Amino acid sequence: MLRRCALCLAVAISAVSLLGLSGCKKADGASQTSLTVTGSTTVLPIAEVAAEDFQTANPGKRVLVAGVGSSAGIESVASGTSDIGTSSRDLKPEEKSLGLVDTKIALDAIAVIVNPSNPVSGLTKVQVSEIFQGKITNWKQVGGPDLEIGLVNRDEASGTREAFSKFVLGTADFDPTAAVLPGTGQVRSVVAQAAGAVGYISLGFVDTTVKALDVDGIPANETTVADGSYPLWRNLHFFTKGEPKGLIKAYVDYVLSDNIQNTVVRDAGFLPIAEGGTKP
Amino acid sequence: MQSRERMNKRVTNGIALGVIGLAAIATVGALGTILLYVIINGIGQLTPAFIFTWPHGVNMEGGIWPTIQSTLYVTALAMLITTPIAVLAAVYLAEYAVQGRLVSIIRFAADSLASVPSIVMGLFGLALFVEGIGMGFSVIAAALALSFLLLPIIVRTTEESIRAVPKYIRWGSYGLGASKWQTVSRIVLPSALPRITTGVILAAGRAAGETAVVIYTMGTMINAPVSPLDPGRTMPVHLMLMAQEGINMPAAYGTALLLVLMVLGFNLTARYIGRRNRRMQG
Amino acid sequence: MNDLPQAPAPEPDPTPYAVDSSLSTISKATYFKEAALKNLFLLCACVAVAGVGLIFLFVGLKGWPIFAKVGIWEFLSGAKWYPTKGFFGILPLIVNSLLAMAGALVLGAPLAIGTAVFLSEVASPKVRELVRPAVELLAGIPSVVYGFFGLVLLRPIIAQLFGGLGFGLFTVWIILAVMILPTIAALTEDALRSVPEGIREASYAMGATKWQTIWRVLLPAAKIGIIDAIILGMGRAIGETMAVVMVAGNARVIPDGIFKPFLTLTTVIVMDMPYASGDHRTALFGVAIILFIISMLFVASIRVISRFGKEMS
Repeated sequence: MLRRCALCLAVAISAVSLLGLSGCKKADGASQTSLTVTGSTTVLPIAEVAAEDFQTANPGKRVLVAGVGSSAGIESVASGTSDIGTSSRDLKPEEKSLGLVDTKIALDAIAVIVNPSNPVSGLTKVQVSEIFQGKITNWKQVGGPDLEIGLVNRDEASGTREAFSKFVLGTADFDPTAAVLPGTGQVRSVVAQAAGAVGYISLGFVDTTVKALDVDGIPANETTVADGSYPLWRNLHFFTKGEPKGLIKAYVDYVLSDNIQNTVVRDAGFLPIAEGGTKP
Repeated sequence: MQSRERMNKRVTNGIALGVIGLAAIATVGALGTILLYVIINGIGQLTPAFIFTWPHGVNMEGGIWPTIQSTLYVTALAMLITTPIAVLAAVYLAEYAVQGRLVSIIRFAADSLASVPSIVMGLFGLALFVEGIGMGFSVIAAALALSFLLLPIIVRTTEESIRAVPKYIRWGSYGLGASKWQTVSRIVLPSALPRITTGVILAAGRAAGETAVVIYTMGTMINAPVSPLDPGRTMPVHLMLMAQEGINMPAAYGTALLLVLMVLGFNLTARYIGRRNRRMQG
Repeated sequence: MNDLPQAPAPEPDPTPYAVDSSLSTISKATYFKEAALKNLFLLCACVAVAGVGLIFLFVGLKGWPIFAKVGIWEFLSGAKWYPTKGFFGILPLIVNSLLAMAGALVLGAPLAIGTAVFLSEVASPKVRELVRPAVELLAGIPSVVYGFFGLVLLRPIIAQLFGGLGFGLFTVWIILAVMILPTIAALTEDALRSVPEGIREASYAMGATKWQTIWRVLLPAAKIGIIDAIILGMGRAIGETMAVVMVAGNARVIPDGIFKPFLTLTTVIVMDMPYASGDHRTALFGVAIILFIISMLFVASIRVISRFGKEMS
């Protein structure tokens, strides 16, 4: 019992001292040796692989990456919990006053996907909007078979959902009876396995198990995204509180370097930011 | 007349027992299905590389070593915190307590803690340890939250173990002039130790598999925690995230299999200790 | 040796140390040491009470503002959960949680009771050695593995067989039933075992078959224990999160079919927490405290029923 008290005391002392030490971590970027990057699950692959390579190239520096959703990422960088907030959507009006600096790091497009067995190969933007609002409920209403539409939505934390909502629905709401799935891969595998399913994922994750639809007659591929004809595109962002400095700047520059842009970004299915040209 | 009744009785009996047997088969079948599915799909992943290397690259290819370390760390810490308190609490309830208001309240509280949904415990850990006291996402916050969850479990099994010690052993001890504490600490507890250990190991298995509590107290960052204040990602959390992302399913299967093996390991160890003890007691 | 009593026995041996110093066989120092130790152990036991209090305090404090803002009645009975637009009604979540629990019980309780009867009355010792560990193992599997299994195996199968996406009440019922099975089975078996052997022998002696004995004598005799087991299973079903969130589909409405997605009190927390802020976050803590109160109600009802049952017999 005395032993237990001693143990408690030891734990308490070490906890307090470590608390004190770790408090120094969130000083300015210049003297940091570790970096916290949180936010969008869409940006996660880029951030993580770049972090790994960055750590190999700069021994002694650590970059901790987590994917929790664009909104959570923005909030945590604004509150100082993390150094960089990644996001797959632009700042909302109420977030513009948080003092965040935007660095765009890649280009992405959102594809509307259906099961490969679905004969429908393209929809108009209006049709897509009505399907996801729940106004169209059967494929035969858009030229497909007599099959109930299985609507697959993303969770509200998802930047992909925000972007899709902004592009396609405008101010309308998603059908509340749609299934809400928390990850890109899940959306993809559910759509791949259910004949009547429809969902939306980042173009970079489309593979042979699903089929991407044409939107307003434009197919979804790299060319149409680069030249701006495919309507559902977006920038991927790194947000920092104030201009990036020190270790933060080193990491951001690393991600923007040609090497990373042409390997990691492309491997993840996105386009280098330079391709976007004069897009806003 | 009578023989038809007798026949009916036997037929009903046969059918009913058959249905009961089916229920048991369904139960074992459910277990078998789950285990087989996880094993078949995950066994290919169990290479030393998977177990001992870090995840890297897009979608966490590679291994899951930091998650294994996080799981073991938080489980060990939680057991370290809970076991002394739980054992002593059980000693009180089994040896000293007199039926009354206080004991009733304690038991009600213990039962309530035992049935708290783990996500409520997770939010509690977030509110008190992570944000309130300011530990941040850390092993210690998770261990403290887990220990509240494990406390009633260990109290229950320890109390049963203590009560299982035959009365005449205690009487012998008192007859020799020993005080209560001497009896408890030198005779009763050592005698009950194997069963207590069984209970503790089973509780550890429970702690290792917890997800909802850990996610809100330890965070989700891939990290091999060194100090108790470090965050980390445990295997159940990793499994959940891998399954939700849905992109690297082989890693998910591997994690699931390792997790099941770990829990199975705890279970079998506990059972082995229990069986050895029973055999020794004759 | 022999089987130990399952439920906590009422009172232990009275401590034999005398307080009257003229008859005491121990010194005053030992007496004080003993008293101090006893109080230390009491303190440890009260940690449980402290825990419950702390949970109420911290989760309740974090959740209180939403009750103050929206009103407890509106919170509980509001039919729209759309927090990003200011709607904080959890009625659909409550209904969904109850639906999930009810179905899981209907599916799982008979299976569990059947298995318990099998273990206690029907199985030979060798078979018992095989089946009982299986039930215990089932209890030890982490809920996230159940959810994973439901997601990757069960959901596609149900989507194939019944159309739709494979999420929904039906899938959740199956998974939850398997999860609460070990809980109910273990407690039912305990209850059946504590029925005195003599009752069985009397029943057989009167010419009853095994099934008649089980159905007309044993199960009614173990009724209280079985009800306790079922209530515990109910509590587990309603509090389960990880397994449900992977197969329920998470749509914030009351589903209009058993193959349609839905959201429960537990899954709403896990889905919304990553991004909730402000009132939304407070509301989630409010949901958590409601869940806590529900689980305590289950525990309280077990006590009441047990006491009632004891008074009856």
